[in-house]
Amino acid sequence: MTVSESDHQRRPAHHDPILQIRNTSVTFDMDRGESRVLDDVELDIQRNEILGIVGESGSGKSMLASALLDAVVDPGVAYGDITYRPTDGEPVDVLDLDKQGLKELRWETISMVFQGAMSSFNPVRKIRTHFVETLDAHDYDIDEGMERAEGILEDLYLEPDRVLDSYPHELSGGMKQRALIALSLVLEPEVLVMDEPTAALDLLMQRSIISLIREIKAEYDLTIVFITHDLPLVADIADRIGVLYAFEFVELGPTDEILEDAAHPYTRLLLKSTPNLEAPIETMQPVEGSAPDPVNVPSGCSFHPRCPLADDQCRHEDPRAYEVNANHPVHCHHWSTAREEISMTDDYDVSSVLQSTAVDTRAQSEEIDPVVSLEDVEVHFETEQSFFDMFSDSDVVEAVNGVSVDIYEKDVVVLVGESGCGKTTLGKTAVGLQEPTGGSVQFRGHDIWDVQTGTDTGIEWGEIRRSLQIVHQDPGSALNPHRRVKTSLEAPLKRWNKDLDGNDRTQRVLSLLEHVGMTPPNDYIERYPHQLSGGEQQRVALIRAMLMNPDLIMADEPVSALDVSLRVEMMDLMIQLQDTFDTSYLFVSHDLSNARYIAEKTGGRIGVVYLGQLVEIGTPEQIIHNPQHPYTKALCWATPELGVEKNTEEAPIRTIDIPDPTDPPSGCRYHTRCPNAREICRTQSPESFDVPDETAHDAACFRVDDDHDYWTSKSITRAEETVFDD
Amino acid sequence: MIQNKHTFMLTLDWRIRRIGQALFTVWAVLTLSFVMVRMMPGNIMGALVTRMSRQGINPARARELIELRLTIDPDQPIPAAYVDYLTNTLQGNLGQSIYFTRPVTEIIAETLPWTLFVLSWAIFISFFLGIAIGALMAYWEGGKLDVGLTSYAVVIGSVPFYVLALLLLIFLAYRWNLFPSNGRQPTGIDPGFTVAYVSGIVYHAALPILSMLVASGMASLGMRGNSIRVLGEDYLRVARLRGLSDLTISTQYVARNAVLPMYTSLLIRIGAMFGGSVVLEQVFQYRGIGLVLLEATHQRDYPLMMGGFMVITVAVVIALLVADLTYGYVDPRARRTQ
Repeated sequence: MTVSESDHQRRPAHHDPILQIRNTSVTFDMDRGESRVLDDVELDIQRNEILGIVGESGSGKSMLASALLDAVVDPGVAYGDITYRPTDGEPVDVLDLDKQGLKELRWETISMVFQGAMSSFNPVRKIRTHFVETLDAHDYDIDEGMERAEGILEDLYLEPDRVLDSYPHELSGGMKQRALIALSLVLEPEVLVMDEPTAALDLLMQRSIISLIREIKAEYDLTIVFITHDLPLVADIADRIGVLYAFEFVELGPTDEILEDAAHPYTRLLLKSTPNLEAPIETMQPVEGSAPDPVNVPSGCSFHPRCPLADDQCRHEDPRAYEVNANHPVHCHHWSTAREEISMTDDYDVSSVLQSTAVDTRAQSEEIDPVVSLEDVEVHFETEQSFFDMFSDSDVVEAVNGVSVDIYEKDVVVLVGESGCGKTTLGKTAVGLQEPTGGSVQFRGHDIWDVQTGTDTGIEWGEIRRSLQIVHQDPGSALNPHRRVKTSLEAPLKRWNKDLDGNDRTQRVLSLLEHVGMTPPNDYIERYPHQLSGGEQQRVALIRAMLMNPDLIMADEPVSALDVSLRVEMMDLMIQLQDTFDTSYLFVSHDLSNARYIAEKTGGRIGVVYLGQLVEIGTPEQIIHNPQHPYTKALCWATPELGVEKNTEEAPIRTIDIPDPTDPPSGCRYHTRCPNAREICRTQSPESFDVPDETAHDAACFRVDDDHDYWTSKSITRAEETVFDD
Repeated sequence: MIQNKHTFMLTLDWRIRRIGQALFTVWAVLTLSFVMVRMMPGNIMGALVTRMSRQGINPARARELIELRLTIDPDQPIPAAYVDYLTNTLQGNLGQSIYFTRPVTEIIAETLPWTLFVLSWAIFISFFLGIAIGALMAYWEGGKLDVGLTSYAVVIGSVPFYVLALLLLIFLAYRWNLFPSNGRQPTGIDPGFTVAYVSGIVYHAALPILSMLVASGMASLGMRGNSIRVLGEDYLRVARLRGLSDLTISTQYVARNAVLPMYTSLLIRIGAMFGGSVVLEQVFQYRGIGLVLLEATHQRDYPLMMGGFMVITVAVVIALLVADLTYGYVDPRARRTQ
């Protein structure tokens, strides 16, 4: 290929569209009326560009993806003109093709990668069969095609033979996603449509795949349409970004322009609401309100109910495409005002609820007794055992291994790590929902498992149970679907505040509902969980935990099920409730930006977990700007930034895939992926070292200690072939 | 250390463990029936002796006869009797039937094939019919065929099969004389592999099989649900976009995945059908193991009853064992690596 990865640059939009979309709509007939899930969209996709399409869930972005292949799911109907313009030959209208024509277009010319790689393969057939049957269905030469497939898999850092001979369930999520990308490229398409291809993956894997997409685009001469809800993610690779809101494009322009000086109020607010590592947290604000219902889109500009600049014109007149410049249309009557009025950086007048408390770092006050104290905690799971297993050893998964951490009054600790690293297990252990197999968990000086068995009678088990609460990741399944909000919320009061009568209880619940912004509370209190939105369900779950008046709440990914624009709002609410109820939080998150937001706003700490071990803990400032452990550095690298300057540093990891947790590496568990690993890391497991000159910052890496034997040990990274580089 | 662990696991392969569990179940059933005979209130021995003396056999002779027939000697001390009983049973000696005055094994060997014949036809026809109908219903979900067949399946599924059997008997056998009302083989034709004889057998088995096909109504509902679930899967959408042929999609993608949950239930159903055969063979006077068991119960023919129950238990245990051992071939996700 002529374009090598290093001279990849964002191209200026030249005019050679490979796909032209004109007046394209997708509608569904629903009981409530016709639902328009893509509304009269116009778009040119240029040959060999990477076009990022960003929108919240339910903004119509997946419909656009499906329409490009004329693959809108029944009973949806796509109409309008989508013209494919081959380099040689007549333009083709995609929506007018017959069955044979569609078969030739799909996968051979325009191919697609879905979000659910986990479920994009037939579970009972090997990966190889998927490739063979695809080649066969399109009458391609199978041997030649399989050779190509192996080449693509190798380019994606997979071992072709191993992957091809596996069943889907035998591969990890990241491997499956890469295998799916390979499958979508096997017929050498010109356009690759990717619909949230990394949404279900961990940060590191996400970032690695994004880098791979760039390489692959150059090598296979592709045009890529990358659809996501995550603006920072595409910021790094897209040439142009289109923003969808309420089923139409509100803005489309070169990436730099969109990031630096977006013209549409929605884009500007969305950028501000996205947590990231660099921007000051005071500037992060939620977008007020929620996205419109497809059956009932507001008249005029669909964004006007949420827009701070809305006036009469916006309410009545649907904005046409105004031109910011030739390459940057925006659908807003007041785009030039928006650029002045909605500032992107210095919004310090925002009355952030807890700015004052962010000043003192509670982690410093170590002389106070901790609320919950974990000491050398181990949780080992054994694989299932039955009667006949009595004589055999079983495999042990070391979910948590030797973790010590103290959580103080009104403290906040955020655990960050990849999925499967044991962060949730650690969190559950801290609130007494999982019994550790080693070490101790103490609540105000009492070992909680001793209290439970009755050997420590200094405090009641019920008291501990009440004091340690949990808020689950998925609020939908954490609330009993057959109980009204009222019943769910009154239950803890009935149990723990016996002196309250029914009236008082209801009053208390009503005032809390109002407090968290669910007004009118009299309406919400009578609803069932399915009548609430995701954010509202999470609020109810949160209040339910708060009503126990707990000392510590473990919140397991409390915002990851919510839309991007709602996350900051939810986190603010949690921080505000902490102030009202005087509790401590133990958050679990896979997203460093969210972790930073919460920890920085509350003066808490971030703990980084890798394969069951706490490898580094410190204030967000320390973790993000002065990371000591190589794994923390990798996490920071993997967190997408909104910056314009491209992140071109080499990836600070040697392999993409996480080791098997049932058979963790010896010595330092990170040595197999660490770019700084030396011989000693293979054999010795590092203790936790205090980072010199910093309080409350510990990291479990030899490199922190300047006099350690590590520095004289031989490097192992050069000896092994570098498996992955950016 | 890890190495050791794995080699040790190999010696205790899960298949061996699973077979061990099956053997354990059989042993438990054998022991239970032993305990039952020994402990049953009213002393079986006494009851049998009384009955035989009523038939004019003197008690001492009756006692001798019974001891000869039962493989459990009531006068022996329990451990010795237990060991004797187990050895006898394992050697295939299930004792003598009191009522038929023939070895139990002989009676079972003579009747079991007939029951199996009816059962296997019923099971396989209902299974494949259920799958085919269910798949069609899913394909035209919400259409006339779907609504019609769903209501039909619900109605027919809630009618006990023996009620249906009686209806079939009344109409197809007595009123319209299309099928024989009882018996299991044609009269007047010499047994053998002749067209006449085999077709006669099928002719006699037709009604029992037909009444057991009711189960296919339920199977088709199950298959319909499974297929609809599979039709909504992402991999199906991807397969369509990849341009795979309709045949590949319907067989390798939809049917293959929808059948998986039904495979186990198919083999579990064998057990239920054995139980059903007792009633069914009575209705059709079809001399299989079900009818013999019923007679044995009426006649308090303990050796025959115990033998019959044991054979049924073993058959169900084997069916489940087969289901477990072969499931990995049907669904790779269930394949264990160790």
